[in-house]
Amino acid sequence: MKRYAYYQSCINESMTREVDRSIALWQNDLGIEMVKLHESTCCGGSNLDYVSPKHFALVNARNIAYAEKMGLDLVVSCNTCLMTIRSAKKKLDETPGLKAEVNEILKKEGLQYQGTSEVRHLLWVLIDDVGLDVIRQKVRKPLGSMRIAPFYGCHILRPSTVLGKDNPLEPTSLDLLLDALGGTTIPYEHKNRCCGFHTLLVAEEESLNVAAEALKEAMDEKAHCIVTPCPLCHTVLDGYQSKALKKNGLRGSIPVFHLSEVVGLALGYSERDLGIKRHIVTA
Amino acid sequence: MTDSTVIHIEDKRDVTFRVHRFNPQVDSKPYYDDYTIKLEKGITVLRALNYIKEHVDPTLTIRAFCQAGICGSCAMRINNMSKLACTTQVWDELEKTREPGVIKVDPLRNLPLIKDLVVEMDPLVDKMKHYTNWVDSKMPEEQWGNKEFLVSEEEFQRYDKATDCILCASCVSECTILRAHKEYVSPAVLLKSYRMNVDTRDGSHELRLAELVKDHGVWDCTHCYRCQETCVKHIPIMDAIHGIREDAIERRGVKDTSGARHAEAFMDDIGKKGKLVEATLPIRTNGVGWTLKNLLPMAVKMVIKRRTPPPPLLVKASKGIEKFREEFREMIGHVAKDHEKKSGE
Repeated sequence: MKRYAYYQSCINESMTREVDRSIALWQNDLGIEMVKLHESTCCGGSNLDYVSPKHFALVNARNIAYAEKMGLDLVVSCNTCLMTIRSAKKKLDETPGLKAEVNEILKKEGLQYQGTSEVRHLLWVLIDDVGLDVIRQKVRKPLGSMRIAPFYGCHILRPSTVLGKDNPLEPTSLDLLLDALGGTTIPYEHKNRCCGFHTLLVAEEESLNVAAEALKEAMDEKAHCIVTPCPLCHTVLDGYQSKALKKNGLRGSIPVFHLSEVVGLALGYSERDLGIKRHIVTA
Repeated sequence: MTDSTVIHIEDKRDVTFRVHRFNPQVDSKPYYDDYTIKLEKGITVLRALNYIKEHVDPTLTIRAFCQAGICGSCAMRINNMSKLACTTQVWDELEKTREPGVIKVDPLRNLPLIKDLVVEMDPLVDKMKHYTNWVDSKMPEEQWGNKEFLVSEEEFQRYDKATDCILCASCVSECTILRAHKEYVSPAVLLKSYRMNVDTRDGSHELRLAELVKDHGVWDCTHCYRCQETCVKHIPIMDAIHGIREDAIERRGVKDTSGARHAEAFMDDIGKKGKLVEATLPIRTNGVGWTLKNLLPMAVKMVIKRRTPPPPLLVKASKGIEKFREEFREMIGHVAKDHEKKSGE
């Protein structure tokens, strides 16, 4: 059983609780254990870094330091948390003065940020540690003939200087995993584009236009569903779907699944157990 | 067959360019023309397009000047990515094609099309003017011409990278929000505004910033990083955008725009609970009226699906929150000292 420190994303503790619920269901089947890091705090959500760059460094040094204390890698299942914490790590590793300043403060709770734990997305762990062959063997209910539109989201791809796992122009990781789960993915332009989440409360009209364009392309390409590794993308594409389509004079609907849910489905768990009934768009 | 013959055959091949064509004076809609030419390894996309124009189809319209990655005039979308034709190798693009041997060439997006691969740059120039994107000298007019305006090495470092911009508009073409709303300021304009704002000779900082925080300005960026990823000069454009936001919060406070209020909510919540209180985030960003009008119908659906974020009192603080709060406060002290030091300079 390979263990990981599991970062608790704010959104997965509030609106998208089905993500952590589904991971808890199948983790043992794939020989991995996500140890919840109850001490972890909000990463700053791609906002704290410009409100206060030093607090941004402090909170994420602390998040990583707790994983380091356990001698484990930090695993994240939200794209923005991934990008944000990795950005902070890069900054800390490249700026010895900042690292020293932060560590002086972290002494208060007996912590030190060393830079030894990697910060990884759940998708990367499934591919690199569990392995596609093992996953293929464990599949009990292949995703089958469903045409899947993979939606990577921005912050698992860009900036590539911080992420670096996939080619941001032609990402393949999610496609490979979905293929191992017995699914069929479709090529479409929006697979590496933006969902519009980060401006939902500041420029709603723009965000809804961004989301509608992505949903439209997936539907035009006759996809049966969208799968995303990011709960923020899910919130827009599922939760705001009818609003976005209506605003743009579009009809129809398309179910949107979390990565963790389709893994669960392929491993034989029910929609109810995985929390799929909680989606706004009926799957 | 000798070794040299083998190399010769491998380094020369037929390449098809699938080129976007549209002449608004005669065409009712755009279409693609395929041009297949024999090329040698080492040829750029621009040279190939020039060859097509000179030897195959003189009606093809492209714009290019320096042919050396300096002037920025030949930006276009090659295999669906905005870049300079003059610095893009055909052989590199052949590895990225969806259809073997076929390179797709389109005009930039998010700017009005003039013909074939040429777009109108005026909207971008107009935005540069709108945001006063030039150095408005602080030096009193009577001293002009009599005195040098010196910039130290350290001062220049703040905008050194931003001056690499050649205004090719590749970032403009790839921008998510500009695609969603044509009035959006756009990444190249934000980069230039940042460059002017941090220039110690400039006197229009406050004025420019006041314009940047308005609708369709700096707060509308959705952090997708497409601009930065596409930049032909590898400029960290998002650092500049974040730099403007940081500056806006520092100089104008956290209450003047929904963008600033939204960002401040993260700082507040983390400092108190370590966790984001999502239930009240819309109200803190936009007020009660906006929230009721825009989010009430969705809130009903979310309640039915038990998807609503927990009310503030039920948001569980992170484990070890007391110690964390102390650390957070201590860092506030560090930041205050940094500000004192900065303003004393």
